Amino acid sequence: MTFKKSVTFVSMLGFSLVMLYPFYFMIETSFKSKEQFLGAPGHSLASWRKLTSAMPVWAQLTNSIIVCAGAIIIILILSTLAGFSLAKTRFRGTPYFFLGIVGAMLIPLHSVIIPAYVNISRLNLLSGYWGAILMYAALGVPFATFLMTSYFRGLPDELIEASIVDGLSFARVFLRIALPLSIPAIATVVVLQFIQIWCDLLVGLLFLQNPANRTLTVGLGALSAGRTTDIPVLMAGSLISALPAIIVYLIFQRQLVAGLTAGIGK
Amino acid sequence: MGKSALQKEKSRTALLFGIPALLFVFFLLGIPILQSIYYSMTKWNGLSTHWIGPSTYIKEFSNPIFWRVMQNNALLLFSVPVAIVIPMGIAFLLNEHVYGWRFFRSVYFLPTAISWVVIGMVSLRFFAQEGLLNDLLKGIGLGFIRTDLLSSERGALAAVAITFIWSMVGTNIMIFLTGMANLEISLNEAGRLDGANNYQIFRHITLPQLKRFIQFSFVITIISAFTALFSLIFVMTGGGPGFGTTTLEFFVYQSAFAKGDFGTGAMLGLILFVIMAGLGVAQLALTKSKD
Repeated sequence: MTFKKSVTFVSMLGFSLVMLYPFYFMIETSFKSKEQFLGAPGHSLASWRKLTSAMPVWAQLTNSIIVCAGAIIIILILSTLAGFSLAKTRFRGTPYFFLGIVGAMLIPLHSVIIPAYVNISRLNLLSGYWGAILMYAALGVPFATFLMTSYFRGLPDELIEASIVDGLSFARVFLRIALPLSIPAIATVVVLQFIQIWCDLLVGLLFLQNPANRTLTVGLGALSAGRTTDIPVLMAGSLISALPAIIVYLIFQRQLVAGLTAGIGK
Repeated sequence: MGKSALQKEKSRTALLFGIPALLFVFFLLGIPILQSIYYSMTKWNGLSTHWIGPSTYIKEFSNPIFWRVMQNNALLLFSVPVAIVIPMGIAFLLNEHVYGWRFFRSVYFLPTAISWVVIGMVSLRFFAQEGLLNDLLKGIGLGFIRTDLLSSERGALAAVAITFIWSMVGTNIMIFLTGMANLEISLNEAGRLDGANNYQIFRHITLPQLKRFIQFSFVITIISAFTALFSLIFVMTGGGPGFGTTTLEFFVYQSAFAKGDFGTGAMLGLILFVIMAGLGVAQLALTKSKD
């Protein structure tokens, strides 16, 4: 029995190395100069010093935060309202509402990206943050609504109806009772959307036309496609971009898992 | 408040609360998917569009590059079983709860938080001539293989597929761990009392209980393979060499935004939509038939 356990332990340890190797590679490479990466011995801070001139890291970090925050706020407002409506106010139209919003999960980004790009450019929204914020929000709302609906369904109907009978309006019940009770679901939506938007390239690449508005991930993607051969600098940039997502992941691992497995149903 | 007044208030709230999300999704995703149909039947010169009917479809269906791209998508499907079986095995190991399993679980999930852009950049160095892969091959005495996977069409696709499998491990482990947490252990004991061996217990007791989770991870993995690899391909190969790693989603981007052919891009996007919707309906039918 102990033999079997130690074999399991060793193979899990070995597999950890496979999963951690990219992080080791990024850290180790970022502390080399270009020459050291190509074979010269030793480590240095040269690439970290060059990073800010190769890409405006701090501005891009700010852009990432603005885009993420903007999209997540829209997603939260729309999905909590719609989720409450779908779960707690059953009326004739509910199934169609549900299908209309949640069914949009089936639409891949690439199938709508060309008309969406044209529409948003006609509205002159490609140069600021709004184009990307709106697209990220639209892509996030269907799944977030699905999550919020399933969560609100778990709240007892009696609780809502008793409060209504007591004279509270639906709006009050939503704000005072349903929302505070749904903090875990809201946290799941926030964490999942944060990771998705933070890590995305395509929407940012197309809908943030002004290079000054680029997010960190888009900045990295553009830099790596630009035939830059300064790999240590790229790795330093990668580390900066990965760090916020890793921190969020380490703190909210449980919410992330809940979000990723929410589609399985009961 | 009377019963009918309550019902009226409910309907009013339902509309008031539900309509913003519905309209938002309709304008940003619903209308564009309809526009895609129109665009796919037009020629676009940057300023105006003019109607050309289904000729883009006819042109693409006789274009060998289009079929090459479809073939790449089909080849990617071969990575799907691997991206399911490996995480399932690891989930079983984790589920034995040996010393440090919580730590290992966190390590395995970690890539889920990392952008494919970053993963692609590291992967590019891993597969390069001077990369770790060749060092490892040399280390185990297979130095003569010394590959440059990324320089050949099939090799580059294999490199993308391997990176994809690596990135899916975390998500699929999560799915299987969720499934294994709900296993009925008492059934195993009953099976053992009836004289079943380990394999029989796995095959006839464990696997059926995990069916729903295998199905779910299967769908998630295919969806990712077909619609989430853009950044990886963009960073690792740019679709090349040749069209070796151009998948349908990447072809949409290339046609529309690199070549400026919006009509063809829209048509390709629609084909992707039909494939994904078909998959969604199939999944729904499977789940329904089981209930």
